[in-house]
Amino acid sequence: MSNAVYAALTRQAGLMQEMQVVANNLANASTTGYKADRAVFAEFLAGNGEDIEHISMGGLAGHQFDLEQGGLRFTGGKFDLAIQGEGFFMTDTPDGVRLTRAGHFLVSAEGRLIDAQGNPVLNPAGGAILIPQEAGEVSIAGDGTISADGQVLGQVGVVRPEGQIMRAGNTGFNAPEGFAPVANARVVQGALEQSNVAPVLEVARMIEVQRAYEAGQAMMDKEDQRLSRFIETLRQL
Amino acid sequence: MKSLQIAATGMAAQQMRVDVISNNIANMSTAAYRPRTAEFSDLMYQQYLTPGTITSQVGTIVPSGIQLGTGVKPSTVSMEITQGALRQTGAELDFAIDGTGFLEVTLPSGESAFTRDGKLNRSADGEVVTKDGYPLADGIIIPEDARRISVSPDGEVVAYFDNEVEGQPIGAISLVRFVNEKGLEAMGDNMFRETEASGAANRLVPSSDGVGMIRQGYLEDSGVDVVKEISDLIEAQRGYELNSKVITAADEMLAATTRVR
Repeated sequence: MSNAVYAALTRQAGLMQEMQVVANNLANASTTGYKADRAVFAEFLAGNGEDIEHISMGGLAGHQFDLEQGGLRFTGGKFDLAIQGEGFFMTDTPDGVRLTRAGHFLVSAEGRLIDAQGNPVLNPAGGAILIPQEAGEVSIAGDGTISADGQVLGQVGVVRPEGQIMRAGNTGFNAPEGFAPVANARVVQGALEQSNVAPVLEVARMIEVQRAYEAGQAMMDKEDQRLSRFIETLRQL
Repeated sequence: MKSLQIAATGMAAQQMRVDVISNNIANMSTAAYRPRTAEFSDLMYQQYLTPGTITSQVGTIVPSGIQLGTGVKPSTVSMEITQGALRQTGAELDFAIDGTGFLEVTLPSGESAFTRDGKLNRSADGEVVTKDGYPLADGIIIPEDARRISVSPDGEVVAYFDNEVEGQPIGAISLVRFVNEKGLEAMGDNMFRETEASGAANRLVPSSDGVGMIRQGYLEDSGVDVVKEISDLIEAQRGYELNSKVITAADEMLAATTRVR
């Protein structure tokens, strides 16, 4: 079989996956704290016996998170927190500590600060944060310090991952190599960070992917016609 | 082709956002209504190539891996804790709560419900009831011959009679607070029910512990900010359109595949 078709096939499969990345970004255009994804393609060289040295195949090699700051939407919610600049909040999920930029927090019936899934939000030391029931107006300072009626109640931890991060769903990230506190974090109370997906860029990419896919199909079509003409010619000899 | 399903989750999410916004706008004149906001989070990721996978003997690793997302899901529709504007009505049995508390109402089943809608009335036996006829849990009964009543910010109810200068106390209205108000279950008719997430009802004297004051002769307006709702609506509508464009594009890619042969 022709190698041209195989090379085109790797490109087509990669484009299908990139379309999935674009679709996921657009689906999450309104998700608080969502970070856009970028697909990264790389070529790999495949040997082909002795006559041709190498042909190059293209495949999806990895992802890049666009960690750029999303816009802040002011909600006025007492426990709606956004981070301006670097850092993540920590939540204690059943699968381990997850990092997130989605700061839509609540207070549980036991008085613990929790996220929308009910997982406790952690302080810099890795413990839960307790908001006493009788606390009046709770205010949260730029460094995450929570206070009410002139008394410090605790602090919301803001950390930076060490090494690579992986997505874990629920706008959370997993940092297998651990994390360290951010020295000068800026927490904003009463605001949520919007998704940083730029719809214009995503639509442009979507069109690009779609057209590239069609071009790939046309190329495979041409290759198919070439082969059938070749077989036809052989038969007539 | 997963892009189709992913875009469908995106459209469903935006649709839900429009539903929430339309309910807010529909309640822009409902006394003491608190607007709701839909929040979303991303769905699980498919791991094609885990970051950190070792790629050689010398210990080189895959720097970022391949994780493909599968769409979006609604995470919560939460109530915004806002204080609506107080509107003066001058009516004797109109109460607004200036703070975070709720009035406690006894339902015909004996169960308690909580409301911030202070548009109250007098029943045939003089009992103070909501507009649906459910009595306040504090059981305030206004004597038949009372000329007027007054309620102080801390909930003390005093009745005034003809030929008497001094009023007589006839009871007190308490306010209820919850640790997590967002955890209350909305029952409709401006009422809420206590849940495990909201915590137990904490009955307090008004004007204490931040529970708020009772303002007689006022009603709390709806907390809906129409300008904000409309701009959210535009955003949701465009989001819906963008996701439908993904479906069109994915469909055309599939069509290109079927055209090959």
